[in-house]
Amino acid sequence: MTIDPDAKRDIRPFHDSLLRVLIESQNSDGGWGYHPAGQSATEATAWALCALQSFEGDSAARESLARGKDWLIRNQLADGSWPVFASQTEGCWVTSLAALALNEFTGASDAVMRGFDWVANSWPRTPNFFQRLRERVSRSANVTRQDNSLSGWPWTAKTSSWVEPTAYALILMNRFPRERLSNLAMKRRAVAEAMLCDRMCPGGGWNSGNPMVYGVAGEALVGPTVWALLALQNSADRSEVRESLRWLEEKIPEICGSVSVAIAQMCLEAYGRNTASLDSQLQSVFEMDQFLGNICVVALAALALDRSRRLFPPAARLDAPQ
Amino acid sequence: MSATTPALTPSFARPASRVAIRRASSYDIDLLSILSETLREFDLPVRGKSVLLKVNFVGHDPLGAINTHPAVVVAAREAFLSLGAATVTIADGPALERDIEAIADSMRLRDFIGPLSPSFVDLNTDDVRPVSLQTRASTLKKLYLPARVLGADLVVSMPKMKTHHWAGVTLSLKNMFGVVPGSCYGWPKNILHWAGISRSILDINSAVRPHFAIVDGIIGMEGNGPTQGTPKPCGLVILGDDPVAVDATCARIMGLAPERIDYLQRAGLLLGHLQAPKILQLGEKVETLTTPYVVLDEFRHLSIRLKGN
Repeated sequence: MTIDPDAKRDIRPFHDSLLRVLIESQNSDGGWGYHPAGQSATEATAWALCALQSFEGDSAARESLARGKDWLIRNQLADGSWPVFASQTEGCWVTSLAALALNEFTGASDAVMRGFDWVANSWPRTPNFFQRLRERVSRSANVTRQDNSLSGWPWTAKTSSWVEPTAYALILMNRFPRERLSNLAMKRRAVAEAMLCDRMCPGGGWNSGNPMVYGVAGEALVGPTVWALLALQNSADRSEVRESLRWLEEKIPEICGSVSVAIAQMCLEAYGRNTASLDSQLQSVFEMDQFLGNICVVALAALALDRSRRLFPPAARLDAPQ
Repeated sequence: MSATTPALTPSFARPASRVAIRRASSYDIDLLSILSETLREFDLPVRGKSVLLKVNFVGHDPLGAINTHPAVVVAAREAFLSLGAATVTIADGPALERDIEAIADSMRLRDFIGPLSPSFVDLNTDDVRPVSLQTRASTLKKLYLPARVLGADLVVSMPKMKTHHWAGVTLSLKNMFGVVPGSCYGWPKNILHWAGISRSILDINSAVRPHFAIVDGIIGMEGNGPTQGTPKPCGLVILGDDPVAVDATCARIMGLAPERIDYLQRAGLLLGHLQAPKILQLGEKVETLTTPYVVLDEFRHLSIRLKGN
């Protein structure tokens, strides 16, 4: 990947350069890999499509978007889910992202709604009666402090709820007005929001989903915190949201990894914070290692620099009639 | 189509394994000389080969007590190159933190290896291939594993010598959890916990089969490892051509009985040697270097001091 060094003077050329990188990195099958020329992957394709939408005035971008959309539709599984890579036959956490990206294009199309239904009916694994009993009497009782009865979403089938896949599912659900959600989806959304709040680390922010292990507070991470905050954008008055937003703002001077800088910027903008300083930080990080060639990071950085804020608009705009 | 792995050899049919223990008082000494000299003793067939160093980059580590220290990593890279390796790639797929650059910055990795790209590969986002599991010790039948790992001629497991709050210890076999890609299994790779940690360790190591191990025991971690324990200075680097024997030796140094560590006991049946008589000790002797590690109450039964061994 090469970027025009003059782009440093103005963030728009840098943004455009990132979008060009995405267009040039698209595979011949229409999808994007995690790295240029890598196997086409649902997550990378979904974020690339979301990022390229701000570039749709460009004819190359329009063609790229159409081919990417076709890749997503072609690789949806019969049950409505998406696998991580096209060659796989089981759907998982990336379904929320694929449906989110397609929804930005097509609105509530058949593919989006089948993906949405799969998500709404996809449950995490919880310990059965005997496993719970064994946990209660075993030496490892009380290892973690969290309410495991609150269900969110797992990364893969037959595993536990975790913060990030739960946040992705909620972000997808929040795209739909209440009247379009089934009772089940409404109930799951409420429980999942409670689960996220329960899993917040002491002091604010989230890690993957264990806020306390062996009595020691878990260290919050930027990634899960950002996605949880974006998932809880409609509940901005919750104390957990306020506390975690404060944690993220205080963390800003220490954030150095490219994906963390990009998504932190996207999140803080969605909460109406001024993040101008992060623009140049993102560009500096890019110049060091070109985001390690990671297509998801390129796409998320492009989204962070997208002044239209279409994907994650500030809360005031989320409240507008849909 | 699934990739194939070499057939398993029962421990009784294997020749003795070799493990070398070297003193290394700090990360500032000439680690390259120590590793180069020791690797020559093993006479590994690395000339013209691709080597993958599977390091242990768990999380943010400003104090150098959680991750394989970059001084050890860069010394290993230079040592393998000096032995004629065609390429040496540093790789890991952290289980919790998706931002690999954040981990790298916290441990000043760029100061040691230069730009991360192309020296370092994030295994969480590598291309994958399905691999049928031979041991079927856990409930898993196959795993999608990174193409870079499967395509390497020589895989070297490079863990930190630490306790682990789920597995008892984390050494070269447990370190191989990091080859399981987060893209397919998430952050954390929770499917491995549901399938059974000890049994999954066996399945992963039977599929990938690390050829060599280099353990960073210069500063380890005791107590609530792998990330929230206490730094434990031991001043050692442990190397060997059998990861099971290396881990068993490390456990003995840590004051723990390897046969009481569930995954190690299982690995000793099929993947390498656990028993001291089948391990040819090079360099320093275990008996003179034992530095008992503090373990959580849940793992007190592993201690050699408690039950005698």
